[in-house]
Formats: sequence, C-alpha cells, structure tokens
Amino acid sequence: MAESDEEVDVLVQRVVKDITNALKRNPNIDEIGVIPCPEARYNRSPIVLAENKLGIESWCVKFLLPYVHNKLLLYRQRKHWVDRQALVDITCTLLLLNPDFTTAWNIRKELLQNGVLNPEKDLYLGKLALTKFPKSPETWIHRRWVLQQILHTFSDANHKKNEQGEREQANAVRSQQLSDHLARTLHQEMNVCSDAASRYPSNYNAWSHRVWVLQHMAKGNIKVFHDELSSMRLWVSMHVSDHSGFHYRQFLLNELITELCRASASTTWLAQQQSSTVSNSSLHQHSCTERNGELSGADTASEEERQFSLPTVLQLFLQEMELCSDLIQSFPGHETLWSHRRHIFFLWHQWRTEHQHNCHSKGENVPVDVSDGNPGMLVQSSVGQGESVNCKTHASEPMEVDTGLLPDPHDSKRLKRGVLPSCPPSLPSEHSFVSIILESCCNYEQRRFALAYKKWLGTVIGLQG
Amino acid sequence: MGTQLKDVIIKPDAPSTLLLDKHADYIAAYGSKKDDYEYTLSEYLRMSGIYWGLTVMDLMDQLPRMNQQEITDFIKACQHECGGISASIGHDPHLLYTLSAVQILCLYESLDAIDVDKVVEYVKGLQQEDGSFAGDKWGEIDTRFSFCAVATLALLGKMDMINVDKAVEFVLSCMNFDGGFGCRPGSESHAGQIYCCTGFLSLTGQLHQLNADLLGWWLCERQLPSGGLNGRPEKLPDVCYSWWVLASLKIIGRIHWIDKAKLRMFILACQDEETGGFADRPGDMVDPFHTLFGVAGLSLLGDERVKAVNPVLCMPEDVLQRIGLQPDLLS
Repeated sequence: MAESDEEVDVLVQRVVKDITNALKRNPNIDEIGVIPCPEARYNRSPIVLAENKLGIESWCVKFLLPYVHNKLLLYRQRKHWVDRQALVDITCTLLLLNPDFTTAWNIRKELLQNGVLNPEKDLYLGKLALTKFPKSPETWIHRRWVLQQILHTFSDANHKKNEQGEREQANAVRSQQLSDHLARTLHQEMNVCSDAASRYPSNYNAWSHRVWVLQHMAKGNIKVFHDELSSMRLWVSMHVSDHSGFHYRQFLLNELITELCRASASTTWLAQQQSSTVSNSSLHQHSCTERNGELSGADTASEEERQFSLPTVLQLFLQEMELCSDLIQSFPGHETLWSHRRHIFFLWHQWRTEHQHNCHSKGENVPVDVSDGNPGMLVQSSVGQGESVNCKTHASEPMEVDTGLLPDPHDSKRLKRGVLPSCPPSLPSEHSFVSIILESCCNYEQRRFALAYKKWLGTVIGLQG
Repeated sequence: MGTQLKDVIIKPDAPSTLLLDKHADYIAAYGSKKDDYEYTLSEYLRMSGIYWGLTVMDLMDQLPRMNQQEITDFIKACQHECGGISASIGHDPHLLYTLSAVQILCLYESLDAIDVDKVVEYVKGLQQEDGSFAGDKWGEIDTRFSFCAVATLALLGKMDMINVDKAVEFVLSCMNFDGGFGCRPGSESHAGQIYCCTGFLSLTGQLHQLNADLLGWWLCERQLPSGGLNGRPEKLPDVCYSWWVLASLKIIGRIHWIDKAKLRMFILACQDEETGGFADRPGDMVDPFHTLFGVAGLSLLGDERVKAVNPVLCMPEDVLQRIGLQPDLLS
C-alpha cells in the first residue's frame, strides 16, 4: 500500500501510464468502470482490460485522482511545468474519473488548437467517459466544441474549393472525403447519444445534444430527419417513461413538418445541402441522390413535389397519433405518453390552422378538409379520393415518390392502397378517445392523466378556437 | 395491472419539524472535515458550493459563523485577468462562478474585493450576436448563462451594459408549446431551465411575455402524491426541483396553485435528523446544495423561522433591499 509521497508519486505515474498504454494497445475499448476492490492485491496493476472493457480498481482512485488533479492545477497556475504528452495523459486519466472538471477539458481544447490532439481522439475520450457518467454536462459541452471545430474545417475546405474553382479534380475528391467524414461523424454522434440515453433514463443532456447535432450538422436534411424518426419508433416503444426520448420525436416531427411545408410553399427541399451540413448525397446513395441530380440547377420543385409533401405531413401526424394511442392503451398510466399526445395534437392543431390560413391567403384551394366537426370527411379527402375535395394530384402520384422517404414499409403499403391508418385527430375524436379510456380502464393513474388531457383539450385548445 | 408510480413514500417517522440548529452546525463544519478525495471531486464547482453554504447560513441568521476574510480573499484570488471568476484557484473563469462570487460578495457587502468593472466587461464580452450568452470563452450557449449574465449585472447595477432586447429575444426563442423553456431553441422544457428563464424575464422586466397560465399548469403538474415536485414528467421528486418549480410559480404569481402543506411535509422529510442538512429525497445523503434549496423552499412557503428569500436570485430579501434591487413578480 502506498503511503509516503514518493510512493504515491511512483504508483500514480505507473497507473497513468498503464491507462495510456491500454488505450493505445486496444483502440476498441468501448466502456470504462471502477472495479470495487478496497485493497491492492499481489502488487498487480490496478488497470484491468477484459473484452474491450477498461476497469480501474477502486483502491487506487483515492490516490490517483487528487494527484493528477493537483498536478494539473499547479500547471495551470504556472507553478509546475508539464510537457504536452504528459498533459494529454494526465487529462485523460483525470477526465475518465471526474469528467465535469471543466478546466481539464479546456486544456485539451488548447492542445487540440495547437495540433497536439486530433478531434477524433477527444470525441473518443468523451465517449468513454459517458459510459460511466452518461449525464456529465461538461463532457457533452466539450463534444459540441470539438464538433464545431470539425464543422469549421469542413466549411473552410468548402470555401477554398469555391475560391479555386471547381474544375480541379483533387478538390472534388477532397470535398467528397470531407463530406463522408462528416456523415460518419454524424452517425457516430447518434450512436453515442443512444448509448448514453440507454444508460440513464430521460437523459436531458444526451437528448438535447442530439437535437443540437441535427440542428448543426443536418439542418434541413429531410432524409436524415426521416431516418431518425423511423429509428426512434422502436426505442420510444420500449422506453415509454422516457420524456426526453419522446420530446426528441416531437422535435423531429416539428422540423420535418416545417421543412415539408416550406418545400411545398416554394422551392427546392430536395436540392443538395450547402455549406457545413451533411448533404443528402454523402449519406444516402439511393432515391434522394437521384432526385438531387434531377433537380440540380432548378430553382423550384416540380408541381409533383409541391403537391407531394402535404399528404406526407398528414401521414406523419396520423402515424404518430396512432403510435401514441397504441402505447397509451398498451402501457396505461404513463404521464410521458399523455404529454406526447398533447404535443402532437398541439402541433397538428397549429399546422392545420396555419395551413388553412396560408392556402386561403394565396387563393388556393384547401387541399384537405380539416374541420374539427367532420373527421370522416378528412379520411376521404386526404389520400386516394382527393378529387371530391379539390386535391386532384394528391391522389396517387405521391405514392410513387414516397418510397425513399417513408420509413415504414408497412405504412407505405397502406398508403399505396390509399387507406389511412386511422381518423385524423380532431377535438371530437380526441374527446372520444378519452371517453373510451375512462370507460374501459380502471388504472387510477391512467384515468387521472386522461382527465387532465381532457381538461387540457378544453382549456388550451378550446380557447384557441 | 399496476403501474409503478415514480414517487417516494414518506414514512410516518420521517422528520416533520425544521431542525435549524442541526443544519447550521452541518454547514459550519462542512469543508473543514473533507478529505482530499472528496474535496478534489467537487472542486470544479467550489465557488457555487460556498454560495450555497453562505446563503443558507444567512437565511438561518447564522452568517457570522463563517470566515468572511478567508472567503473574500479566496474570491479575490479567483478573479482572472479577463475579469471572469473561476470556481477555485487555478481553474478557468466561467459565468456560473462569476455569478456565485458576486452573490457571495453581496451577502458580505464587500464587492470592492474584486474589480467590478472588469466583471462587467467579462459578462458583456460573452454576449453573442443573437443575444444569447456563452458560459465562457469557449462558446457553449445555454439559457442558464443568460440568467447568470443578467443576474450578475443586476446585482452590480449595470444591466444597461448589454443588449437587453436581443438577450430577451433569444430567451423567448427557447419557449416551448407547454409554456416552459429548455436550454436552447428546440430543447425540452426542464424545471431548472424554466427557473432561469422566468428569473431572466423578471430581471429584464419582461414577465408579460410569458404565458403564465400555461406555464403554471405545467409547473403544477410537477407535484406528486408525496407532495414533492419533480423537474420533468415521470422523474422522481427532488428538493432542488421543489425550489426551482416553487420559485418559478412564485415569480409568475401562481404559488397557490400547488398543495403547499404537502410540499412542506416532503421537504421536511428530506432532513437528516442525525447529521443535519437536507438530501434530494428522504433517506438519501445530505449536501449543502439540497440544504440551501430545502431551507429556501420552506422560506417561500412562509416559514417564519427563516428569513424571507427572493425567488429570482435565491438570496435573502434583506440583502436585496440593502442594494436596492427588487425584481418583478407577477401577481
């Protein structure tokens, strides 16, 4: 057992080295943890590597942490010199044990700016720290900073390319590489977020990071948002209490609807993404890319695409409400599900109001009848038999272009048959949903949430008219 | 089929009276008995830790038991060339700890210990074009930092040094359909962020921009059968969320919308009768953070054994009266 200062010094330096070597030797380490072990055994290293898991025996942490902590602070106060490699190693050990130590991340930011570290290395360190501390706010904050650096590199490269003219083949290759790199980074971030979300329920920091990543790396990219919505479906169904996961779905829907409506109102939502966001072409090689090709240079979307997005929006709402109803009935008494219902119905109500208004103001026909009083009419009008309510081109054409965008093959089949999954939401249909729950369910919490929803419909939605 | 309700059950023998002397002893002893390891783990937030301890001592009228000289010297040593203040010596400056330091110095009436003009410059320099505030020079954006910025400047009487209109515009862009706020535009509503944003709107005189009924509705739904409040749907009740939700309700004039007696019972049950101090939930380990928010919550609920607390700045009302700051509240 180390007791004297010198002994601690030797011990700690050895452990820091062991951690560094373990990470070097095995680039596939995917989780860290502290192994409960009150006493040192057999003069063996307290660093254990097994099946890509890196463990630190607990007895050494109480020596290790204060030592690396103090060393770093002495360096920060310029009282003690530490060379760059030692800084990399010390901050690594420190952050794996105490990832909210902001100043240690800041030192790594400086090392990154000086080219001593590369961004991928730091994203990896953060990923490991999150396996033990999935909420750690400072780790998420540092990730965003590193991602910003990557985005800057990307947009600088794009800028240079534009300056030099596009004919140089080398630039095109380089640009494609960067674009692929960005797509991989985006994919990796989604995985890091999913992992952290599974380790801690309603992980605010993980989910708000995920929102940030999409806002900064995939802005306006309908395909990415669609894929996210689709891949989240199973996750939320298995995490019916995770309010943050459902909020993320709400965010995705809202963004998708905004984008689709913008596309419908004017221009080229299919056009390739510019600047520093992940482009469609770098992520997906199928339908979207083809359409990008067709549309390149065109300033406005074709009539077909203009018309196409409105039923898609409607379809998104219907599917979401159906999912929500299923979950509420399968898992009674979850506030998260009822809160989700409020949000979706609110979004729908808002969209419907705005959409009606826009169409009227432009002197167009309202493509779907969205009046509250007659949900049955909507079922008829929205897809399939559109002509009766003046939405001729909606009827069948959308289905042709739909396949690349609608995530669920089951649902697109339904679409092709022209059958909607259920009635579109309306105030009366929502009230009748509540009545069915109240009549059929004796779960106290479920009834409480149903009554609260009813009150919310009457007060918040009712007062808006 | 039974649903597992996410709540706690308060045992009949849980504490039900306020153990003020125990809490004062707990805070007075905190810090002196810490071993290396524990101290190291939380040093990155030391300045806020001191603010929590001193504020709760002042609310209990026990501030003289703390070492004023040592603390002001420490704060002085934490101010950096840029004007910002760090959590501890050798750490990097940040808005979070700059606000904590200014709050402490207001309690002690000793703002002259630091270079106030430089603090103002630091805060001003962190405002972005869109009105938001970065937490430090590395640029992370969060509505928490908007609150820290205006709270610091309000305490220093220098609100006019920033672009308040732009700052308000950014905070309002983080408002959600449920009347709540998240950390950035598009982020989920969260009681802690709501507290920051309602506090921000109070300090900037913009409370009329809130949908107080809608927000009040969401906040009231945080109360669970145990009486405790959570910070988001289906999370456990927690003494610190009791403060953030309660303070927000107070700011928007809707504190009577929740069951105050039940909340009081919950907070009291989170005391540790042996060690003193409050925990997040009954039976858990106590800490200074939850001790402040427990006592401050009881103050907002009208407990006359502690001083009146200001819901916006979480500081004793008499301190704010002394410096002539009276943030808006809705009635």
